[in-house]
Formats: sequence, C-alpha cells, structure tokens
Amino acid sequence: MVTHEDVLAIARLSKLYISDEELDEMTKAMDDIIKFADTINNAAEEGVEFDNINNLSNAFREDEIVPSYDREEILKNANDIDEGHFLVRKRV
Amino acid sequence: MKYEMVAGFETHIELATNTKIFCSCTTEFGADSNTHCCPICIGLPGTLPKLNRQAVKYAIMAGLATNCEIANISKMDRKNYCYPDLPKAYQISQYDKPLCEHGYVQLSNGKKIRLTRIHIEEDAGKLIHKRGDTYIDYNRGGVPLIEIVSEPDIRSVEEAKEYVEKLQQIMRYIGISDCKMQEGSMRCDVNISVRPVGSEQLGTRTEIKNMNSITFIGKAMEYEFGRQVDLIESGGKVEQQTLRYDDVTNTTSSMRGKEDANDYRYFRDPDLVTISVTDEEIDELRAKIPELPFQKQERYVSEMGLNEKDAQNIAKYRKIAEFFETASKGIKNPKTAANFIIGQIFRRLETESDKEEFNIAVTAEQLRELIELLDSGKIRNNLAKSTLEKMLDTGKSFSEFISESDLAGMDENTLNELCKKAVEANPKAVADYRNGKQKALKSIVGFVMKESRGRADAAAAEAKILELIG
Repeated sequence: MVTHEDVLAIARLSKLYISDEELDEMTKAMDDIIKFADTINNAAEEGVEFDNINNLSNAFREDEIVPSYDREEILKNANDIDEGHFLVRKRV
Repeated sequence: MKYEMVAGFETHIELATNTKIFCSCTTEFGADSNTHCCPICIGLPGTLPKLNRQAVKYAIMAGLATNCEIANISKMDRKNYCYPDLPKAYQISQYDKPLCEHGYVQLSNGKKIRLTRIHIEEDAGKLIHKRGDTYIDYNRGGVPLIEIVSEPDIRSVEEAKEYVEKLQQIMRYIGISDCKMQEGSMRCDVNISVRPVGSEQLGTRTEIKNMNSITFIGKAMEYEFGRQVDLIESGGKVEQQTLRYDDVTNTTSSMRGKEDANDYRYFRDPDLVTISVTDEEIDELRAKIPELPFQKQERYVSEMGLNEKDAQNIAKYRKIAEFFETASKGIKNPKTAANFIIGQIFRRLETESDKEEFNIAVTAEQLRELIELLDSGKIRNNLAKSTLEKMLDTGKSFSEFISESDLAGMDENTLNELCKKAVEANPKAVADYRNGKQKALKSIVGFVMKESRGRADAAAAEAKILELIG
C-alpha cells in the first residue's frame, strides 16, 4: 500500500512539488500503477527468468567516432546559455 | 585507547575508448565546452543509448587483471538522482549484476585488498560554479567509467596509497586508461571509519568524495582519522555523511545535508539489453593481459639479478620496463642496463608523468649496442656513461661519439709508457705505497685512467704499476 509519505518522499527526490489537494489523487494513482505492475508476479511460472524476457542480448556499438553536433544545435533548447555553457541558477 | 583506521575505496577510472559509452561522440579531453555532444549524451527525450563494445571489453580486462570473476550475464540499471551534471536525471550504471566481482589487489606486504566489484557506468558532465550560477559542460557526460569498489580492508594511509598506486599501474599496463588523477581520469572516494584496536565491529563511516591526488588522499585520511578519534574520545558520535576535502586548509567538511539521504531508486534500464559474455570471449581477453608490474618486478629480481628497489622502479612504468627488457636482451649482466636507466636516464625524467610517457632520444637497441661495447672491454664505464649522455642529448648512436682509436683500446707499449709516467709523476704516492699504504696505489692507477681518458684497462695498469714499484 502506497502512503502519502511515500509519494511525498518520491516527489522530493524528483524535485516535484505536490499540493495537499493533489496528494490523495497522486497516492491512489501510484498505488494503482504498482498494483498493475504486480500482476506480473501472479502470472510468473517457476523458472521463468524475467531478467531477459525478450532473449535479446549484446546490442553493441563499435568504438568509432562520429562527429558531434554543432554547439549551437546542442545549446538551442537551453533556457539560458553563457560562454558556450548551459546555465542554471545555483542551487542552495 | 588506541584506535585503528578502517578504509575502503570507490575508484572511478575513465576508460581509454575513442567514443563515449552510449553514443559515438569522441571522449577526447580538453576541447571547447559542449562541442563533444549529441542528443544522446545531453539526455534528450526519445534518444536510444547503444552500448560501446570496447567499454565492456576494457572493463572485463580490468577485472581479469585484478583477479575478479567475470559475469557471463550482466545488465545496465538506472541510478536516479536530480543534479545538473546529469541531464537525464539518472545515471546509467550497474546495480545488482556488475560485470566483475570478488577480485583483489595484493600489496607488497602480501596483504590482499579485496575488491567487491567492478562495474561500468557513464561519467557526468562538468559543473563550473561562478558568479552565483552553474555553468555546465557535457563533454565529459557519457564518457565510459569503471567503478572499482573495494572491501574495507585498508588499515593505514600507507596501504591506501599503495593500493591506489597499484590500481593505477595495473590499469595503465593493460592499456585501458591513462589514469591521470590531475585530469580527472582517475578519482577516488574514500570510506573511512575508526575503531578501537582489537575490535571486530565496524564504526560509523564517512565518505570523502572525489580525491584526485595520492598525496591529498593521504592527508585527507590522516585528518579524518584524527577528527573521528577526537570526536569519540570527547564523548561524541561519528555521523554518517559525505565530506569534501579542502587541500588549502587540510580539513574535511560536510557536502550535503542529511535530508538528502541517498535513495537512488535503481531499476533496470529498459533501453539496454542484457550483456552476455561467453567463457571463450573472456579467455580471449585474458590472453591480452600482459605481464603485470609486480610479476615483472619478481622476475627482474629472481632471473635478472636486479635488487628489489631497482626492479620496482623499472617495472612500475610499462614503457621503461619494455625499454629495459629490450636493452638487456642477450646482455651478460642486465644490471648494467638497469644502472644506466636509473642513473643517466632517470635524471632526465623528473616527474611521474615524464617517466610514464618516457620520451627519450635513445632507443633500447642503441643502449644495448653501448652495453655490448662496454662488456667487450673495448670501452670503460666512464666513457660509456659520458657517451650515453651525448646520445641522450642528440639521439645519435654511440659510433658518433666514440672514435676508432677509443675502440682500439690501448696497446701494451702505450700502457707501459703511461704507467712509467704515472710512477714518475707521483713520487709521494709511490713512497706512501712502499711504506705500506695500500690506498696510494689507487691514486697512481687513477692518474693512468685520467691520462688515457678512460681507455686504459685499470686492472692491467695496476699490475704494471706494481711491477714497476713493487
């Protein structure tokens, strides 16, 4: 059972603000999500390895350099830039 | 009460791949900010990371060189935390299935520092705090790292320093990282606690973050050990916290408040498939591991007749060890090569990185030719030394500096003449010798050596002089 405290703790770690009005709704939503994910445990057969359910492995990339993006492109979406850097307000 | 130090290390090492761990941007150090970036390494939504095969190979080699077991099945996980150096708000790392586990590094006193694990992960971007703002450069973001986690087996600053040095040497030898602490390609977090000597229980530990110099690691550990002991002695309690070391004041201070307790909510990264490594692939990588520094050191002592210290000084640097082995190939006494390296050559390599890079003008083959000449008795040690200096200055072979007449040695007549001259020129030494002062003979021989510019055979000269004055 997900509690209000769980939701507030996760919100704090994610730097999200949740108002008192939202708290009940969010807690229920989180609980539903976890319960939904839990159904997989009920379906589990003995000996099924969930670590690699799709049997895919080793999708590797070779170690070959491809030119990077222009800096202007990279910085284009930033809220604030200065001297070729992303800029964020210093956190306390 | 007497206290002992208990310390463990988490060591981050940047791998020497050409490209980042999940994208094809270059890992080159020192470029303009944010010029080695793409949508993957700046964490834009909708991008798909793809694992660099070479990073996996290098990490496995690191494990093999430190006696780890290599996992046949491994996977990547997300470590969630919110900080501007991490544009996705999570770092892709490995949680419960690291590539390598249960290794060790052996110290010179025989003690094994156990390694819990070695895993791969991505480096974070670089933050520069100025004018009240944070400037972010993501060039380093996504550079492949291995994190080597040790057990709390370290009991002193000396052991800690040796442990870090050993790791550095091993990783450089196997060629997976340059381990330049000053450039940040090797960084250590030190976990440290204290306990009364004899106690088996672990005390509360603190973690000193991001140490990038072996000297500072030593100083920070000494300071933190003293701080914790003082705290306990005065009735206080050590608080578990993350510390920053200030090398100017030589003190540690708290980095984050307690309310930010770590909760990384690890889960498997669904973008990345399982890593599967076969035993055959592991054996192939094992075959690539060269003879390691401590193995070379042992061999230099037991098979080549070097003393421990010289063996250690040469084996420590891969390039110097290779130079020594080539220069002494087929030589009667490899110690001669070692002496030239530690004498003449080391004098020109002042810093550790000079020794690591080992840029000298002389090739190992050229040194070997000079030693062969010396061993054949055609030249004397002093001439060999001064010739080597000239070779190091110019990069030219010995034949540029040693003339035919030098090589001809000295015929008997010339030697006889010189010895006569020496006896005549040193009446006092002759008288002293006749009065029983053995040492005086040496100064007469010295005269001959000086006059002949080192070409005369000292033993032959001594015999001749004895004949004349005996």
